[in-house]
Amino acid sequence: MTDLLDRPPFAARDDERFLAEMNALTRSHLEGCAPYARMWPGAREAASVAELPFVHVGLFKHLALRTERAGLEHQRTLESSSTSGGGASRIALDALSSELQARSSRAILADFVGEGRRPLLVLDSVRSLRGRGGVSARVAAALSLQPFAEGMHFLLEDSADPASMRWSAVTELAAEHDRLLVYGFTWILWLAWGAARPPEIDAALAGKTIHFVHSGGWKKLEDASVDRTRFDAALLAGLDPASRVVDFYGLVEQVGIVYPLCEAGHRHVPAWAEVLVRDPHTLEVLENAAGMLQLMNLCAYGAPYHNVLTEDLGRTVPGACPCGRTARRFDLLGRIPKAEVRGCANV
Amino acid sequence: MSEHLAWFEDARGTACVALPFELEEVLADWSALRSRMARELPDAFQRDEWAYLLSFLERGNLLGAFVQGFGAPTDERTGVRLLARPRGPVAIWLPNNVSLLGPLALVLLSLTGNELLLKGGSQSQDLTGAFLAFATQHLAPGALKRHLTERVRYEVFDRADARNAEYARRAVLRIVFGSDQAAEAIEALPHPLDSSSCAFVDRRSEAWVSAAALDEALLETLLKVFAIYGQAGCTSPRRVVLLDGNEAEARDLRDRLVSLWGRVVKGEPAQHVASSSILGGQWARALGWDVRLAPRNAAVLAAGALDLAPFEAPMGLPVVAASVERAAETLPENIQTIGHAVGDPTAPRWLELMARLRAKRFVPLARMHHFGPVWDGIDFWRRSFEEVELSP
Repeated sequence: MTDLLDRPPFAARDDERFLAEMNALTRSHLEGCAPYARMWPGAREAASVAELPFVHVGLFKHLALRTERAGLEHQRTLESSSTSGGGASRIALDALSSELQARSSRAILADFVGEGRRPLLVLDSVRSLRGRGGVSARVAAALSLQPFAEGMHFLLEDSADPASMRWSAVTELAAEHDRLLVYGFTWILWLAWGAARPPEIDAALAGKTIHFVHSGGWKKLEDASVDRTRFDAALLAGLDPASRVVDFYGLVEQVGIVYPLCEAGHRHVPAWAEVLVRDPHTLEVLENAAGMLQLMNLCAYGAPYHNVLTEDLGRTVPGACPCGRTARRFDLLGRIPKAEVRGCANV
Repeated sequence: MSEHLAWFEDARGTACVALPFELEEVLADWSALRSRMARELPDAFQRDEWAYLLSFLERGNLLGAFVQGFGAPTDERTGVRLLARPRGPVAIWLPNNVSLLGPLALVLLSLTGNELLLKGGSQSQDLTGAFLAFATQHLAPGALKRHLTERVRYEVFDRADARNAEYARRAVLRIVFGSDQAAEAIEALPHPLDSSSCAFVDRRSEAWVSAAALDEALLETLLKVFAIYGQAGCTSPRRVVLLDGNEAEARDLRDRLVSLWGRVVKGEPAQHVASSSILGGQWARALGWDVRLAPRNAAVLAAGALDLAPFEAPMGLPVVAASVERAAETLPENIQTIGHAVGDPTAPRWLELMARLRAKRFVPLARMHHFGPVWDGIDFWRRSFEEVELSP
């Protein structure tokens, strides 16, 4: 179990240590997960992070990968929202990983939303919590903010309907608190709060300090021609200047590791994680060029989701970041474009 | 309306087909369009698709529908046993996922003289609309242009649109390319009692090859046939069965395909194809397949035992070894085409085997994608005529 988590997330890295721990974690998965071992026959100690055996993120939609080893206690299954087609990813969670993942997300998010507890308003339905055996990506993301929460308040009557907001709950909380934390999927946050906020709510929230945290991508808002500037301005209008909108990138297949957008518009890699960019046609590692993002972390024991090749496009960015964080950084450029499947009627 | 007569003859006698146009003029018009097609590729089409469509319009191929249905053209005007004429409006529901079957069906059915009602896919660009627009734009005034303009109605609407019911109510022949559910929904619409339907639904195909028959040219053909649509084509080989071979020989065959890939399949695969190949390769390995990726991650070529669990990849091609009997036993329920490279496909054993199987076509590898007046075992083109029996 890594102690890199004891370090500040975005301080100087110990690459040698990270590689050694990734090698050990990889060995554990190769020994405990037969399909993973079959994927990488002859895998051996890696001399660099680029040599570490990864899993294409789409595989978690098709195979129930799970690592068995002594002392590992499997718990719930985390499910993606399945917005990109092909079904939902299913990630086997375990007690050890869950503890590490909670520490990880807390450390990363604290750097962006600050310490201290305040009411957490979640743009979801409380019914989303009640799934048996599994937990949705949306709920998992909201739960990652629990360390900063003084109570969780679910604001939607219907998780699929942004118009089902319980504004009365917002009014009540605003009357009692000067600081609030709000989480929602990007498109829901826009439709429910950014674009449809009644005037009396503006009055109730005037001068309050709110951190809006959102994730899930911009595809639906791009289709509606809503860009980040308009999005942020709509959310922050009338609030205390210390209020912020934090857009984080994360995958259920990298639970616990989130990549908030920094003030300079980049995403930083915490000390217990790593990001590479690969050419999809050669898998060559690219520097400062666009390619598929490969994400690694030291917090995944229950299945080999410690090292995944995503279908997101990104680019590593060299040099120091104006935001002051010294950790490595990258830009998220969107998803690999999907062309139409051409064929016969049977697809 | 059908005042132009075309004459054909087979061993049973002479058949006369009444059409609303001079058949030779329409065949000549389609041929004339080919020269324009050779100079211009509409955006909607891939180069391979356009090239196939161009070759499909060759006069001999189009006339072949009549030859297959009525016999060879003849000057004989006596001993007429049969008069055929267009049966009435034909409605065609096209698939959503951009199939070349749409334009091909349009071309073939245009020869029947029937009024055509074509519903394009509502969720995607479809090739039929693009081709019809190209044809009507570039055809010289004449019989074919007049027919396509006046007697062919092409529209795009969704499954809830009232025009579905109108098409079903008017058509005497309903042709559906689509899912099982789409075909069932259309069949449930009120339709004339004397009408009929042809549903071209979910189908799969595979390639059966024997080591002795496979030379490099046939391997290249196999790759070409596969690479056009990968796993998405109903006539694409979903797996290659090496008949009476073993697993090591299947691996060798797979390796030969990988080594030929770069020479046969040109162009850079799209990023999402490369990504899906990486995924498919890992999936296959996890299940126990022996996997190699084609250059530039263009495809997943996997060899393994016949009973390995299947993996999915848009450009994934499993190669397995099996006896003919085991290959037959493991055919999918919805098998359509078996593409063969088996030495002598006319040997009686193949006829006897096909008599027992559900497959609709047993054709050389190179003909797997070839569309014709009989499809999925259904004589849909001939069904668009009604017959008048003539006895002396």
